[in-house]
Amino acid sequence: MTPRTIIAEWILEPGTGKAVELLKGQILRIEQVEGGQCADFNCFNLHDYKEFMHCGRTRTVHGFHPTTGTFMWSAPPRERAMLYILEDTVGRNDVLFPRCSAYVYEASYGFAVHTNCHDIQAEAQREYGLTPDDVHDSFNLFMCTGVDEDGHAFMTRQTTKPGDHVDLLALMDVLAVPNVCGADVMKTSNFSLKPLKLTVFAATEADLAKVPATPKLASQRTPKDFRNRAIKSDRPLRRDPAYRAEFPNTPIVVTELPVPLAPDEIAMFNAVKRSDIYGDDDAAALRDLVFSWWEERFLQAHAGAPSIGTK
Amino acid sequence: MSETVVKLRLNQQQLELLDRTIAQGVAPDRVSLVRLALREYAAQRKAEAAQ
Repeated sequence: MTPRTIIAEWILEPGTGKAVELLKGQILRIEQVEGGQCADFNCFNLHDYKEFMHCGRTRTVHGFHPTTGTFMWSAPPRERAMLYILEDTVGRNDVLFPRCSAYVYEASYGFAVHTNCHDIQAEAQREYGLTPDDVHDSFNLFMCTGVDEDGHAFMTRQTTKPGDHVDLLALMDVLAVPNVCGADVMKTSNFSLKPLKLTVFAATEADLAKVPATPKLASQRTPKDFRNRAIKSDRPLRRDPAYRAEFPNTPIVVTELPVPLAPDEIAMFNAVKRSDIYGDDDAAALRDLVFSWWEERFLQAHAGAPSIGTK
Repeated sequence: MSETVVKLRLNQQQLELLDRTIAQGVAPDRVSLVRLALREYAAQRKAEAAQ
């Protein structure tokens, strides 16, 4: 197998982060040095920072713990695969928790100043002209989280060792921003701050061949498709007096479709209809049945997630 | 015995999805598609209950 070429290497010291220009076809390895360290991660389209990684979409498509073989998606209306997780030696990452912030450490622990992922991200992103408001929801590498029976997210300790790593393959030119999570008074990084190693590789043909196909759809819009393409450059919001609403597919018009049902069909319907939700409204119960059937029979991916091909 | 008519209320997007499904050859028309959905959905629930 052809070895990967190393393009750059850094050590991220505790309390710091690094904005890395990662071009399409390059791999960013985020690696444990001592073990037990969480990394927070942001990602932007290098040529248009308004396209950025969207943890909400990513967790809908891949669940709360994305790992090898999953993608990092950009926010609607772009919804493109930005990165592919090529390798993950641990398999426990998180897209559930937000980044920790100065507020958390002040409110819960009384710190006037404390290392925190928001401020570290903001400082790293400042090298590329971004502001603290541009930091987005983080992909939390090596962070061990879950959801308890009451529906609350929890975090616990991790078991990563030196050399454990996650390899992120860029599918477009991106600004990748990892940081050493600043939490030393939480379980996230086992109550201490340790360095992380970053390595940028050129992907080999074998690496690229592992990436599944993703759909190219008309709904993956870019600024050329926007009614308002200009990025707002001042802070106050003012109404545009020329604004005329152009919501898609409006007005929504409801049509009646009479469906004659034979006695045996009515019996079938009565046996399965959701009276617990719709009561005596058989029309609503039948509509529910029709679209529930459609999802069961035709929907390829969970929760309407983008379909992904195989290679 | 006589048939019972249930008046489905569907918007244009929901009708579009049904019509695209019909165009795939799943059923000849909207009413037939709804009846097919009912039969298949009920059969699936019956199969699940038997497990």
